[in-house]
Amino acid sequence: MAKDRAYNGEYTGPLKRLLIGVLVLCLLGIFLIWRIDSPRVERFRAQVVDKVVPSFDWAMAPVTGAVNILRDFQSYQRIYKQNKELRRELQQMKAWKEAALQLEQENARLLDLNNVQLDPRLTYVTGVVLADSGSPFRQSVLINVGARDGIMDGWAAMDGLGLVGRISGVGNNTARVILLTDTSSRIPAIIQPSGQVALIEGDNTIAPLIDFVESPDKIRPGDRVMTSGDGGVFPAGLLIGQVAKDPTGRIRVRLAADYERLEFLRVLRSYGRSSISGSGGIVPPTPGQDENITATDKAGEDGDG
Amino acid sequence: MADRVALHLWFMRFVWLGLCLAMIFLHLLPLDSTPKGWAAPELTLALTFAWALRRPEYVPPLMIALVFLLADLLFQRPPGLWAALVLIGADALRTRAMRLRDMPFVAEWLHVAVILVVMTLGYRMVLSLLLVDQAPMGLSLIQMLMTLIAYPFVVIASQILFRVRKLVPGDIEAMGMRL
Repeated sequence: MAKDRAYNGEYTGPLKRLLIGVLVLCLLGIFLIWRIDSPRVERFRAQVVDKVVPSFDWAMAPVTGAVNILRDFQSYQRIYKQNKELRRELQQMKAWKEAALQLEQENARLLDLNNVQLDPRLTYVTGVVLADSGSPFRQSVLINVGARDGIMDGWAAMDGLGLVGRISGVGNNTARVILLTDTSSRIPAIIQPSGQVALIEGDNTIAPLIDFVESPDKIRPGDRVMTSGDGGVFPAGLLIGQVAKDPTGRIRVRLAADYERLEFLRVLRSYGRSSISGSGGIVPPTPGQDENITATDKAGEDGDG
Repeated sequence: MADRVALHLWFMRFVWLGLCLAMIFLHLLPLDSTPKGWAAPELTLALTFAWALRRPEYVPPLMIALVFLLADLLFQRPPGLWAALVLIGADALRTRAMRLRDMPFVAEWLHVAVILVVMTLGYRMVLSLLLVDQAPMGLSLIQMLMTLIAYPFVVIASQILFRVRKLVPGDIEAMGMRL
């Protein structure tokens, strides 16, 4: 009987209707639970991703490799020209290398004079990019290190040069890095040499916006943007990129990290940040605190100047 | 005889499942991490609708729900909502399958378009009612249009490659005889 019904799905019986109704209710229930208790469902999502994506990995690596080889093939056509360009660049680089070596020696001497201790806990774990977000609306990548390797939410991920994003969602074997270009990404930053503090906001374009700048006219295109470490959730002093102006005149960051090909990411260990638990209450103003804030602000400005 | 029909039915169900998983897999390949100004069509959706109109028995609701819930989870979408809408949309098409059988393809395309527009708008409306962060409107519209443009090609491909076509009266009789 049941078999017969399976064949003629044409005749939508009341039983089938009921099944669909129940399924829709279940799915909407999951959605509502996600809306109400998002952290728990997000943890479940991380677990599902953790199970599913590594099982695709045997196929993913060769397919990605093959496509990349095909792309590289196009560049063989202009290999001679490229070679000449590279030689010229190498010549320039040698000059820079010389300068860098001298600076490094000078820096070491100065550090020695000042008796500076670098933070030994700022070490890193390197992971390989397994998958990207798979949807045009979200900018994130999945890397193959997770809770097993001690990765925690909120840590910074960099490629060789610049900041790429932050960890959000850790499974046992995988972790998700929300890229700076994602619409939910907000990173406190400082713009050098003017010392302006700003927020880097992803907006689904390759160059994130710079917002909440006190005096934008002090910022010039080409200025360096670094993380400021404000709020204590992110290590300070990581290179993000350079300031650029878009045609409409808004200031954006040209990212230092090479987003076209993210392959290996460094995840910086940064302990000692306060963990976020609960949604947080309203902080009432207490008398006497205002003076404190202005005092510290002044001190900060003095320090920057 | 009945065994062979059942076997074929399950075979086609697994073909659909395999195609959907392959498309999810292709989406996840880390080829380019830069944000793009356009959105690729949602081929899993086009395929599901095309098959739900032609052979609803190949795309059982439970499988639709599971596949799209998995896609929701993997693609960082709010889990469940889009899957529920796809399920409702596929069911709406399923009930219209009988009437649409004798109509030209353009009528079918229009039906799919209307359902897709309603789904997309409903999705965005629910998300904004519940104050969930949303993707830019332009991108979702582009994705919707791309899915609609891709729909005829998906239909042609599934007719040629997988012989998923609308039932003609002879088929039903042949099936009835076999059953």
